[in-house]
Amino acid sequence: MASEGEQTVKLVSSDNVEIVTERKVAERSMLIKNMIEDLGAPGEEPIPIMNVSEAVLRKVLEWCTHHKNDPAPSQDDDADSRKKTTDIEDWDQKFMQVDQEMLFEIILAANYMDIKALLDVGCKTVANMIKGKSPEEIRKTFNIQNDFTPEEEDQIRRENEWAEDR
Amino acid sequence: MSRSRRLQRMSSASSSSSSSTSPERGADDDNDSFMLQANDSQSSLGMDMSPEQSQTEVMRREYEERCRVSPVHRLPAEILISIFARLTSPRDLQMCMLVSKEWARNSVGLLWHRPAMNKWDSIHSVVQSIRAAKKFFAYQELVKRLNMSTLAGQVSDGTLMGMTECKRIERLTLTNCCKLTDLSLQPLVDGNRSLLALDVTGLDQLTDRTMITVADNCLRLQGLNVTGCKKLTDASIVAIARNCRHLKRLKFNNCVQLTDVSILTVATHCTHLLEIDLYGLQNLESPSITALLTSCPHLREMRLAHCSRINDSAFLDIPNDPELPVTFDSLRILDLTDCGELGDKGVEKIIQSCPRLRNLILAKCRQITDRAVFAITKLGKNLHYIHLGHCARISDLSVEALAKACNRIRYIDLACCSNLTDNSVMKLAGLPKLKRIGLVKCAGITDRSIYSLAVGEVKNGRKVNGVSVLERVHLSYCTLLTLDGIHILLNNCPKLTHLSLTGVQAFLRDELLAFCREAPPEFNEHQRDVFCVFSGTGVARLRDFLNEQKAHQAANMTPSVQSESGSIDVDIDDNNPDSDGSNTPVVNVNVHGNYPHGHTPIIPGPSSAVGFQSVVPPNHGHGSGGAPSNLSQSAPATTGGAVWAGGGTPVVLQHGGGAQHVTGMMGAATILDEVEGDEAFGEGSEIMGD
Repeated sequence: MASEGEQTVKLVSSDNVEIVTERKVAERSMLIKNMIEDLGAPGEEPIPIMNVSEAVLRKVLEWCTHHKNDPAPSQDDDADSRKKTTDIEDWDQKFMQVDQEMLFEIILAANYMDIKALLDVGCKTVANMIKGKSPEEIRKTFNIQNDFTPEEEDQIRRENEWAEDR
Repeated sequence: MSRSRRLQRMSSASSSSSSSTSPERGADDDNDSFMLQANDSQSSLGMDMSPEQSQTEVMRREYEERCRVSPVHRLPAEILISIFARLTSPRDLQMCMLVSKEWARNSVGLLWHRPAMNKWDSIHSVVQSIRAAKKFFAYQELVKRLNMSTLAGQVSDGTLMGMTECKRIERLTLTNCCKLTDLSLQPLVDGNRSLLALDVTGLDQLTDRTMITVADNCLRLQGLNVTGCKKLTDASIVAIARNCRHLKRLKFNNCVQLTDVSILTVATHCTHLLEIDLYGLQNLESPSITALLTSCPHLREMRLAHCSRINDSAFLDIPNDPELPVTFDSLRILDLTDCGELGDKGVEKIIQSCPRLRNLILAKCRQITDRAVFAITKLGKNLHYIHLGHCARISDLSVEALAKACNRIRYIDLACCSNLTDNSVMKLAGLPKLKRIGLVKCAGITDRSIYSLAVGEVKNGRKVNGVSVLERVHLSYCTLLTLDGIHILLNNCPKLTHLSLTGVQAFLRDELLAFCREAPPEFNEHQRDVFCVFSGTGVARLRDFLNEQKAHQAANMTPSVQSESGSIDVDIDDNNPDSDGSNTPVVNVNVHGNYPHGHTPIIPGPSSAVGFQSVVPPNHGHGSGGAPSNLSQSAPATTGGAVWAGGGTPVVLQHGGGAQHVTGMMGAATILDEVEGDEAFGEGSEIMGD
């Protein structure tokens, strides 16, 4: 009998493409891991990943392959300190150099597939795109429309001015 | 639950395909209206549509268009929030609030979670926004943490009253805001159902009125620190204990009016208690302590310092069933400082009932004797921290047993245990994890103790443990100590950051006191005269100074003179009659490091230039040559330095970072770094307690 590492699983993307991958890689996703545990007999039944298209799923699996041997995060992993830093390791930084559409789809997929570490990297990447920018620069970066009236903008600025020089 | 939902969805919906390549999120995962609409519309794709359906379709198209133009719209609120949560600077959050209404909605909670309270300008501005009649967001609902301790004594009731509307505060920290009274605090906690932690340390004007309001409202309270709130009485603490069933951490330090009535009620109702500190509650009697122990099974930390009425019965009255002994396995920290009535029987029962104690503080429990310390040895590896200061009746006998049985001790204080001699310290010096040792006024100890502390345990002539981990050494009023001993300690303990030598005559010299810390302002003239504490960089500067001095001395002497009279060699051997010989430390110390020709000095430490000082465990014929060591217990103290003959392997006592230099005048010398690495008990394998 094959060991867990050599087992493969079949995933089906939202656009109905079948992707075969190593079980260990796929199990970086808690969604998939739980499904495999619930279904038993991994590898036979294809696992539908309903909300993720083929292109995104392949990208996510690329990340999972690179990180397949990462230690599982421990329970008492100091959540706060991890949250506070926006340091990203080099490989992940390169991995995240994609257009915004793909970046956000990776984040959504990581959220849906329950891959905490990837969601973490995704959120940090976006946070780094925000840091140090003015509201106008942020809007430009993400192509966001300003839906405040000048009065509203003024009011918000006034009501939150204490945060200026903390 | 969520897993079964996922499966359900998987089996029912796997065939439906979306026209979008985007990973639409499952309806049950999100509460974002855009997403819901997008999902709802999926089933209607490519069919004839009712007007209602086509309207939905229009909205879907609009949404898709928006996402195409601005992909960030795809992110639901919860993900936006978790992105914003990585922005550590409030300034960045403030900028996010001004981007758009959606971004403002999702960042305002993070920004107001803990408003700035460290400057008057900020406080003023925060209060103004909260009190404004017309405001963009209900900021008062968003404040979850309020900490005024930076401005402490300057904060008045008027300031805090500005925050009265904040009813969802979870953590309220008012440490040392001593001007505050019931006037502002009572209305603030009134109506707050969210409070989890309240710290009013030092608010000595606070009365039962505020605390009864807390009891009536803050039913989720888990942590309460009322240190120094001297006006509080049993009336309010009983109410809190009765109502707040989730209490986990309590500090009643110096709430001098509290009695057993409060503590017995706490014991009855607050069974989730993890920590309790009753420092200085002079009214407390033993039954309160028995009750706390027996009814709070999770209790991890109990501090009873200066509860002077507590006696052995607090522990002896714990129900005893020889068939099924009662133990409190959660208790790790027990502080009984100055519980002067406590005796050996009490300590014996403590150890029996609390076998997993990690920190035990018995300072000033003056009645206890060796019998209590022998009981403590039963804690074995669990014991990390032990304070026996002023337990003047204890002797070498039990302290040596303690060092042997409890080899994970990191901190030990034996101040004023005047019976103790070098024998105790030499055993304690072998503790591999010892970071801090307090020997103040252990007047009997000599340089032999200090040499052992410098070298650690020596077995068969080799250091057992790697580089010393000693950080803090307290030797004030150990009047027999000399410069040479301390010099060796300095050069062998690279992590040393604190060395106190107050009242030690050898150190009361101006050139050395230059590196000493300032005496505390409250000290009188005499106290200043004898004050001598080196800390931080002072330790390093003292080390460098002594090294330079010795180097200078050495340079001024000729080798022949030195070998006759210049060097001071000290043999330390364990004279303990109980020793079986296998574990006998034999340490040869050549203080000046001047060696006869052909002999290799071993230089410890980051000594900058010459080998004027070494600690050389004897060569024991390790390796090829197998030359017998001439350094034995019987070696006279004046035979000169260590002899490295044949293939013997010298042990280098090395400091981090410091290169070893060997004095040129001794000729080329070989230094073999044979020190066992500190992997054997790698730092970090266990977290240092407190």
